[in-house]
Amino acid sequence: MGVINDRVKFNVGGRVFETTATTLANAGRNSMLGAMLDENWNLLQDNGSEKFIDRNADCFSVILDLLRTGELYIPQNVPEKLLYREALFYGVLDHVRSAKWGQFDGNRLRLSCSVQGQAPGDGTAIRAGPDGGCCVAHGCMVHVYDWMLEEHCPLNLDHQRVNDVGWVDPNNIVIGVSERLGRGDGGMGLFSSHNGELRYKFQVSHENHVKSYTAGALSFSSDYKIFSSCKGRSNEYGVGVWDQVTGKQIDFFYEPLGWSLGDADKLQWLEGSNCLLVATMFPRKDNCYISLLDFREKKMVWCWSDVGATLAVDEKRVRDAIAMEDNSSICVVNEFEELGFMDLRSSAANSVRWSSRSRLMKGKMPEEPCYPKLALHGGQLFSSMNDCISVFCGPEWVLTSRLRRSYGGSICDFSIGGDRLFALHSEENVFDIWETP
Amino acid sequence: MSNPRKRNFRIEGFKHGVVMDPQYGDKTWIILENAIHQIYNHNASGLSFEELYRNAYNMVLHKFGERLDSGLVATVTSHLQEMARSVEATQGSSFLVELNRMWEDHNKALQMIRDILMYMDRTYIQTIKKTTVYELGLNLWRENVLHSNQIRTRLLNMLLELVHSERAGEVVNRGLIRSITKMLIDTGPSVYEEEFENPFLLASTEFYRAESQIFIECCGSGDYLKKAEMHLNEELDRVSHYLDPSTETKITTLVEKEMLENHMLRLIYKETSGLVNMLGDDKYEDLVKDNGKQLVTDPERLKDPVEFVQRLSDVKDKFNKIIDLAFSNDKLFMKDLNSSFEFFMNLNPRIPEYISLFVDDKLRKGLKGVSEDVVEINLDKVMVLFRYLQEKDVFEKYYKQHLAKRLLSGKTVSDDAERSLIVKLKTECGFQFTAKLEGMFTDMKTSVDTMKSFNANHPELGDGPTLTVQVLTTGSWPAQSSVTCNLPTEMSALCEKFRSYYLSTHNGRKLTWQTNMGTADLKATFGSGQKHELNVSTYQMCILMLFNNADRLSYREIEQATEIPASDLKRCLQSLALVKGRNVLRKEPMGKDVSEDDTFYVNDRFSSKLYKIKIGTVVAQKESELEKLDTRQKEEEDRKPQIEAAIVRIMKSRKQLEHNNLMAEVTQQLQSRFLTNPTDVKKRIESLLEREFLERDTVDRKLYRYLA
Repeated sequence: MGVINDRVKFNVGGRVFETTATTLANAGRNSMLGAMLDENWNLLQDNGSEKFIDRNADCFSVILDLLRTGELYIPQNVPEKLLYREALFYGVLDHVRSAKWGQFDGNRLRLSCSVQGQAPGDGTAIRAGPDGGCCVAHGCMVHVYDWMLEEHCPLNLDHQRVNDVGWVDPNNIVIGVSERLGRGDGGMGLFSSHNGELRYKFQVSHENHVKSYTAGALSFSSDYKIFSSCKGRSNEYGVGVWDQVTGKQIDFFYEPLGWSLGDADKLQWLEGSNCLLVATMFPRKDNCYISLLDFREKKMVWCWSDVGATLAVDEKRVRDAIAMEDNSSICVVNEFEELGFMDLRSSAANSVRWSSRSRLMKGKMPEEPCYPKLALHGGQLFSSMNDCISVFCGPEWVLTSRLRRSYGGSICDFSIGGDRLFALHSEENVFDIWETP
Repeated sequence: MSNPRKRNFRIEGFKHGVVMDPQYGDKTWIILENAIHQIYNHNASGLSFEELYRNAYNMVLHKFGERLDSGLVATVTSHLQEMARSVEATQGSSFLVELNRMWEDHNKALQMIRDILMYMDRTYIQTIKKTTVYELGLNLWRENVLHSNQIRTRLLNMLLELVHSERAGEVVNRGLIRSITKMLIDTGPSVYEEEFENPFLLASTEFYRAESQIFIECCGSGDYLKKAEMHLNEELDRVSHYLDPSTETKITTLVEKEMLENHMLRLIYKETSGLVNMLGDDKYEDLVKDNGKQLVTDPERLKDPVEFVQRLSDVKDKFNKIIDLAFSNDKLFMKDLNSSFEFFMNLNPRIPEYISLFVDDKLRKGLKGVSEDVVEINLDKVMVLFRYLQEKDVFEKYYKQHLAKRLLSGKTVSDDAERSLIVKLKTECGFQFTAKLEGMFTDMKTSVDTMKSFNANHPELGDGPTLTVQVLTTGSWPAQSSVTCNLPTEMSALCEKFRSYYLSTHNGRKLTWQTNMGTADLKATFGSGQKHELNVSTYQMCILMLFNNADRLSYREIEQATEIPASDLKRCLQSLALVKGRNVLRKEPMGKDVSEDDTFYVNDRFSSKLYKIKIGTVVAQKESELEKLDTRQKEEEDRKPQIEAAIVRIMKSRKQLEHNNLMAEVTQQLQSRFLTNPTDVKKRIESLLEREFLERDTVDRKLYRYLA
């Protein structure tokens, strides 16, 4: 450099900081610091004089360090909340967020913190948002937290039970709720994650008549479609499809006779094969139904059910299912946390290949059992059981890590997103946030 | 609390420790509003960014976001209205300059206001989903300035005028137009489209419609197209200099439509300079040549001659169709097509053979059960290809061979088709070309008559073997080496009788037996008493007859008895003993080839569902390499006298002729048969000079004289 003196002097709340324009440029032009150095605002001032900023000096020091090194180090004496507020003032909150935790890796997760909710437990679902926030569904309430774990306006669904929630983008969430008898409400709505305002209500029409319905599980595709399992009043069961942009219903896959779609516990959109996985599991129905729907041809391209299967003494009932497109298989889990696999390529896959892994769980079930759940992220398979989440890797799905925290009881749901893992406990209304450092 | 003394507990009312100044919002806004005024008045240097940012931050923090937002709209609007008035007031051409200046001012002010209100953009606007400060500023600019009645139309007209004058050749301030269009684009994509692009395209349409009308009246197609291209380039240039890139395709399609599409027919058919003339030969010819060359030189394709010729014919059809549909059978294109075909058809020296094979295939089996019309069409197609051949005499040679085989083996499907093709060849190449072919047909006919009278004269022959002789005129038929074999005694006696009969009726002729070309039907009884009639060649007949007297015969014994040439004998034995299902003989030791130490005996266990069994001879359909070379050499030999004859014919009528003229005439005369090679012709001339048919003029060495 040498020639151009790019040194900048700040006086922040009485403390003088000296840095370079290059360092400050890391903040970007769309930040307060960037604008401050812009020539529009520096016509008369000479570079030698210090610029006064009437803010907290300790926080400025942390932020300046972040701009210099790209790393975030928060000293003991600086509360996180305070730092976030200051970062927002300077317009570098995004920098703080991206520096706070690293890229997700199931085997390197550390418990970051636990958040205590207001209600006494029995959560329905937890969903990670794309930018590190999350929302927790609880009876007829949905609590939304941003990545700083600041709670936003809670959503009160007027005494209707929430079945599933999902993030459309960092600013919007979709909530599927049960219809209440005698009231024409229920269904699915789009809410602002900032202020909880209802922005749109998705409708279902059958033969051009708008009908009220109960929205069950939700799924989203990258081409802006929303899928939801629907139960209509007059037995219109099936899976509805809406366009996220227009909000219009674009398709409806009616439930075939002797099958279950409208009650589904889980929907999963498969980008590669352009199909939707629909799974209805045991406690909701007497049997288990897993199918892949191709909406373009209105065809069920793959299906499996345990109807008619003779149950052995040690009952193995499928409790959750997840499709793994990379392996062309569907992974299922039973109440003993045994993993089973089915081949997606052969449509006549009638048998589950149970992995002969642990029977450890057997015999020591907690008082309040939770059904196991599955998740897939970046080639790693996650399975929750009781108060613990197991991480499986590699082609043979070897158990590589266990995430456990002995407070709050069993994990009733967990979710991965925004490079974080959220685990919701059932006994205490608490959820844990796991991050990769 | 250690002191047990009762204390009067009093709950005091909650003190409002911090009371926000109710005027806070207004007071702060006044500071900010003032700053915005300063910014618009180019007086921003005295402002402290930190202070303003903090004030705006505080307003949002203390829930005055709404106040901030509405205040901003009001202040900016008032400034923009002022700007609009000043722009409206300008006269003439400075209008655009002023508008541009105002835009630049507004843009810069907007930047700075956005900087101050950045926190509002980040938080307040985010949560309530309003427009950001910058967008708001653009919207206000659009509403207050661009859509102001007195500016809107004036701006548009001025821009269009500028473009028009530039099209008319004047120099305009491109930089200024660029800034203005950029302003329109920045204000929003739909603004540019609505306020400028659409009217611009409309005006351009009119302009080019008029322009093209004038041009087409006064220019030839070539010049017209050049003009059109020039205009196209001009527009491209315009787009790159001061319009949005998205306009490019729109304006180019527009120009193309107005200047080319709408005048397409006139351009093509304009006399002397139309497209038809312009396209001329090059492009089309090249296409055909490439296409054909690929076909002709692809070794894969050459494996099956019949298929190959069919393909050629298809290609020809395809191109004919193109010419028919796209160029309404224009003569120039036809000529190109023909020359291209001639070019690539003669790239491969084997094509004459292939065409003949194709015909052979068609006449043997291809046309069975097909109506006469279809036969005609097929033959016509062959003739079309034949026309392109330069070496027609090679074709003739092959054709003769193939025809001979067909006639002698009685394989020809339809006599009519054969004759029809010969007639076609005759019209194409003249009497000479087909004389021999016709001779072959005549021979066939006379032979039938001869046989009738022979049989009538020798009624005593009824019981013995029947003989059918085809008397072929030497010369008309393809020359065959006349290696005879020893016929079985029964046969040779019969043959002798025929010979004496024939020579007695035709004086001074000579008969040679072409035993290699005959066939025979034999009645045979096999071990299990099964009777079959075997259709075999003469050679095979000779071999089989030997087994009437012997059970086992060695190769050498057979060779001695029959005197069939070794190669033919081997082939015959192969087909008799080694073809599965037809092996009337067995061989010892077993093996795939016949060797000279083998022994043969009758296959007693021979059985077949059919009564009549044809035992073919193993023959190569296509010529073997050796044969091919042979045919070629013969061809060369055959051409010599033809060339000499042509030279003599010409010289006889001209008496004297210059070398070049002679060469030309010879080439022309022989064109219908083959393409002459100048060196060959020269050699023939030399030879004729030597033999004193011609002599060189003593003065002019290039001049030849005919010596009677």
